Amino acid sequence: MFRISTELSHLDTQFNLRQREFYLNRIQNKIASQRRILELRDDPSAASHVTQLQSYLNRLETFAENAQFALDTYQYTEGYVRQGVEIMQRVRELAVQSAHGIYTDEDRSLIASEVNEMLEEIVSVGNAAAPTGNALFGGTRISASPYAVLYGRAVGDDAEQIIAVSYEGNIDTRQTEIADGNYIPLDFAGNRLFWAQNQQLFSNVDASSYQAAIDSQIRIDGVSIEINAGDNIGAIVARINNSSAAVRAAVDPLRNGLVLETTHPHQLWLEEDGTVLLELGILGSGNAPNNFAEGSELFGGSLFDALISFRDALYRNDSEAIGGQILQGIDESLSNLLSGVASIGAKSSRAQFVQQRIQYEIPEVGEAASQLRDIDFTEAITEFRTQEYSHQAALAAAGRILPRTLLDFLR
Amino acid sequence: MQSTFSGIEIGKRGLFSHQSAIHTIGHNLTNIDSDGYSRQQISLQSFDPFVVPGLNRPSITGQIGQGPTVASITRVRDSLLEMRIVNESSGEEFWKTRDRYLRMLERIYNEPTELSVRNLLDKFWESWQNLALHPDQSGARQATQERAAALIEGIRHQYLQMEEVRSMLDREIQVTVGEINQLINDIGDLNLEIAQARAAALNPNDLLDRRDLLVEQLATYIDISTSNRDADDYTIYSQGLFLVQGEHGRPLEVAPNPLQEGFSMPIWQHNGERFINGGGRLGALESLRDQDLTTEIRRLDDFSINLTDLVNEIHRSAYGADGSTGTNFFVEIPRVIDTDGNFDSDGDGLFDVTYLFRVSGENQLETHARIGFGGTISIENESEAVTIDYTATDTVGQLLDRINNANTQIVARLNREGGLELKALSADSEEFPDYVIRSLEDSGQFLVGYAGLLNASGAAGAYNWQQADAVGALRPTAAFATAPLLHPAGWIGINPDIADNIQSIAAAIVDPGGVFEIGNSDAALAIAALRNNPVLVGSNQTFDEHIAETIASVGLRGERADLTARTQEQIVKQLKEMRASLSGVNIDEEVAELIKHQHGYAATARFITNVDSMLDTIINRMAV
Repeated sequence: MFRISTELSHLDTQFNLRQREFYLNRIQNKIASQRRILELRDDPSAASHVTQLQSYLNRLETFAENAQFALDTYQYTEGYVRQGVEIMQRVRELAVQSAHGIYTDEDRSLIASEVNEMLEEIVSVGNAAAPTGNALFGGTRISASPYAVLYGRAVGDDAEQIIAVSYEGNIDTRQTEIADGNYIPLDFAGNRLFWAQNQQLFSNVDASSYQAAIDSQIRIDGVSIEINAGDNIGAIVARINNSSAAVRAAVDPLRNGLVLETTHPHQLWLEEDGTVLLELGILGSGNAPNNFAEGSELFGGSLFDALISFRDALYRNDSEAIGGQILQGIDESLSNLLSGVASIGAKSSRAQFVQQRIQYEIPEVGEAASQLRDIDFTEAITEFRTQEYSHQAALAAAGRILPRTLLDFLR
Repeated sequence: MQSTFSGIEIGKRGLFSHQSAIHTIGHNLTNIDSDGYSRQQISLQSFDPFVVPGLNRPSITGQIGQGPTVASITRVRDSLLEMRIVNESSGEEFWKTRDRYLRMLERIYNEPTELSVRNLLDKFWESWQNLALHPDQSGARQATQERAAALIEGIRHQYLQMEEVRSMLDREIQVTVGEINQLINDIGDLNLEIAQARAAALNPNDLLDRRDLLVEQLATYIDISTSNRDADDYTIYSQGLFLVQGEHGRPLEVAPNPLQEGFSMPIWQHNGERFINGGGRLGALESLRDQDLTTEIRRLDDFSINLTDLVNEIHRSAYGADGSTGTNFFVEIPRVIDTDGNFDSDGDGLFDVTYLFRVSGENQLETHARIGFGGTISIENESEAVTIDYTATDTVGQLLDRINNANTQIVARLNREGGLELKALSADSEEFPDYVIRSLEDSGQFLVGYAGLLNASGAAGAYNWQQADAVGALRPTAAFATAPLLHPAGWIGINPDIADNIQSIAAAIVDPGGVFEIGNSDAALAIAALRNNPVLVGSNQTFDEHIAETIASVGLRGERADLTARTQEQIVKQLKEMRASLSGVNIDEEVAELIKHQHGYAATARFITNVDSMLDTIINRMAV
């Protein structure tokens, strides 16, 4: 027989009550904080998952904000580009009209002044700024206007007019992260959007016996191309053509000079660390894009060039040119702008898609984290009641049994 | 012939015996709540009868009983049970102490809540994302600086809390050693008293109870075993060495441990050797301080130094809004003043070791490129060299994985430019300095010509930290950084130059042509991308994984301590119940005995009255 000493029942009661109180306190805390994991030990692996999920949630929220910012940026960028499209459509109408021989000089001069206004307007579109005051179309050179305008006297009119528009921005772009390791560009360089034709650059230096003296690097449209010592012109051409830059290189069969031609309308952007392009008669001094060599020949121009030459042709009454080359230039500008609109639209639908996905994902991840972290209220309240009852029962039993000894029954 | 008054003698013995019994019961009842008290049993037996056989015995028939006498008063105690309790107590206290401190540690992490360092880190990365969107706005820079300050505050606070717990443990170790000494002394003194009482043929029940109580207390502090082979020479052993033998005790004391940052370690007072026990509260405190807390602090240090190093690496190469470059975002406090990492470790005035934390080669590698030749890299770990073989068909990525998975305390990765970067971790052993690359050797060309780190392959070209100017083994083009001051988590901070001028927070990377534009934010993006890149914090790939693993590891240790403590508590509780069942006082039982002895006393008194009246008859009534 197990002998029960008086202290034994006391100790047992104490122990059991302590335990009841501990569990009661724990479930109370869980209910009060609504959390299943009060301490890491309550479920270490779940706690570890929760921390990762919460971090992921924080990240998703950042991505959603980034995507929203990208969408906003695209929206006003697209607005300005669309405005450019409208202007160019009107210019195209004017070009088609004025290509007819039926207009008089005076009519053409009136049309020319309208075209001039259009030119002013589209330059201001090119220099448009975001709500923060930053230039939209200057790449990452956001503090200055991307387009510098040169005023002068155009042939056939005495007033001061735009005679040249040059791009002062760069071809770099800000990016933002919209998913882990997934970036989307925020800037659209003006020298791609507001461009008309493919550019061709002819060097007048005979390169047939050229050999690179040392290792160096050239950059075409920001893409680095390594030139090794000993490369001849053929190797250099091959390296350029194999690179991801949207530029085709060739050797002019007549002059044996290097020819660079863009494969879609944009401004050629050439830089180098060494002297390869200098020696090949492509680059001179200065910074891109105003750094082509003196003797080289450059063809293909921007939308602004197309407008300027249209206006000048109107002044010159050169309806033949208007109907031919100039109309083609305007068409090319327009289609380039439209493809810019399409590209912005595509990017904004990508950002929108990402945003939608995140909108779905946030509650899902949140739910997963919540399931790991938060209490199941039904279960908790049931447990709480159970603990409460057993606590009361333990107290009641202790109250009844503990004080009874033989002493209670002696007289 | 019997004496006339022998009846009174018998009655007197009876009264005394019952009185003793009642006193013993009273002693039991009044000690019902005394710690360590075990009930005492009085055993009465009949006194030697009259007459003793012998030639000169009076000739009477039979032996006449002479009443009761107290044979013994003994305590009811099971010494085997006692030994088991002593054995289990140390385990219970070990796990309870662990449980208590690990709970504190878990709370320091504040997970999973919004107040954790992890959340502050999330906010820090987010601020770089935001800066990437608005590189021209000083508000975004301000936010980055504030978030970084909050993160640093969080890391430092966590570090200080851990250090606080660690010094708390240290203080408790000192106190515990004091208490152990007190117990050793008290037990020695009791042993003497007990031996003296025994020599006088007394049964020192209460002294034995008191000694058992002290031994049980001692058993919660350390692992002990007891031996009572010689009743007068009660001995307590710790790991086979005696702590108390009879009246002689061997006290302990604490001395600073140079290998454990000067924290105190218990030593034997008599020979100064380290006291190694590992059980009970002292064992738990020591392992918590020297292993758990030290590991946690090391993890936090690894985290901080990697954060500092990786953010600074990008930040230095980037440009601030004011066009400044080459600035660190976080402060870096080197451990050595010499820029080549030379250090005078033995204080003889000459440089004798080289402390380098990170080395990186100039050549650009591709993760997926095949190496194209074979060789063996060997890196020193602890005392032996770990060798990592590679063959011509291995890719660079495979080899890096192999280096990271080998237990080398060095991590390898390709940095942003594609250069091979080797970084030292904190050292597992206290004998070696933290964050110091100890050796690099390659029998092939990987570390040499391929990555551009070492000058020559083979043992001749090996890098070894145990010499001055060890950087001479590295190529002149290889970049390196000297080891940081210990406990980066304690000193991590924003570079004061940045705090003074937030415009120098660098978000831009210049284009290849070298032109700086404020609108560029590639550096900010690159820093934000660090969170998910395999940057190798300790043995983990990313910062997030590092945090998740830390959380899981602390939680699991806490869970284990909790469970084991509860199991041990149950075991000890059961043993103590068994003891209480055997040795505890039961009021019912005692009161029943009391009634019995009270009646015995009353009956004896009645007997004496009877004898008295008999004598009265003889003396007064008989007419002589």
